[in-house]
Amino acid sequence: METILQGLMELAGVRATMVLDGSGQLVAHRGQSVYDRSVCEQVGSTVTKAIESIQLQQDDWETITAQFADGRILVRRVTVRADGPKLVLAVVADTTLNPSFATVALRVAANKVRSMLEGGASQPPAAAGSQPLGAPGASSSVLSPADSRPVLANTGLSWSKSSGAGSQLGSQAGGSSTAGLSGVAVADPASAAFLSRCAKELARHVGPISKVYVQEAARRVSPDAPFALTASRQLIDDLSNQIEDPKDRAHFRKAALEKK
Amino acid sequence: MSDLAIIAKIPDVKSAVLGDLAGGFHDAVREQDGETVAAVMGFVSSAMSSAGEQLGLGALRRIAVAGEARGCLVLVHGNVVITASVEPGKSVGAVEKVLDSTVHGRV
Repeated sequence: METILQGLMELAGVRATMVLDGSGQLVAHRGQSVYDRSVCEQVGSTVTKAIESIQLQQDDWETITAQFADGRILVRRVTVRADGPKLVLAVVADTTLNPSFATVALRVAANKVRSMLEGGASQPPAAAGSQPLGAPGASSSVLSPADSRPVLANTGLSWSKSSGAGSQLGSQAGGSSTAGLSGVAVADPASAAFLSRCAKELARHVGPISKVYVQEAARRVSPDAPFALTASRQLIDDLSNQIEDPKDRAHFRKAALEKK
Repeated sequence: MSDLAIIAKIPDVKSAVLGDLAGGFHDAVREQDGETVAAVMGFVSSAMSSAGEQLGLGALRRIAVAGEARGCLVLVHGNVVITASVEPGKSVGAVEKVLDSTVHGRV
């Protein structure tokens, strides 16, 4: 998701990009330093109110462009499925934005987001007890410290098992594991279950991208061997770095350690 | 001729409504439910103005909503909000251009 938003940021005049869910919550964002998380959350909430009202008049809207004295807000609907999550992609730009280029770029970005989410949503549901969490196909780009961190929230998508992951986990875990984290080799079913629990717990703080964070962290802490519970504390330490708020971080660490 | 009448004469503009940022209804051309349109678009304009303030984008000038079958253009000048319903939706851009050349600076 961040890669898609970063692509939009590279368009001349774009100051911030964000993905909002149907309730106005920020699913992801990239922006210049002045457009930090709190600003984007406020704007997201306000824009969503406007969208909800527009839908009273025109429920088949596709794009909304608000032109201001010193810039624009462009919004494009991203409908994954009829019963899927209602997401919108929003771009904040200054007056140097080329509206024609922006329209095309926004359309391309919306298609990419849709493809990404559809790819995940089409997979079978996860193991029993898993909760709706997020976009399994989401990818995370490496951000420099100066960048604003992406803020992700629950999109209501299904926490799903990757078929590839299932086979990998299954083969490595003697076929008894039903948890799924694509591309992560695990030593045993307990390790797979631990990863799933970590992802669920992390999702409370960072949203659906948690699954990707867990995949990456598991590979980092155990690069040469299947992930095992012996590396669980390292994994928790690594994942904690994904949570900005110290309170949330502490809460996650406590909860994850309890689930160890 | 009033701005509302000028806007209503633009090709593909099906109706036009004059309202204000508080959602008040003042006048309409070919729109039977002008009160509702004025109320909704007044609120939408207020909300977008707030978003613009939060982002430091200055005063709201215009909102364009486009769908496949229809769209609308909302012009904001001070407290005045003019909403033009456009059909088909792909004509929104063309109507915007006509507006720029005919009523630019007047509303």
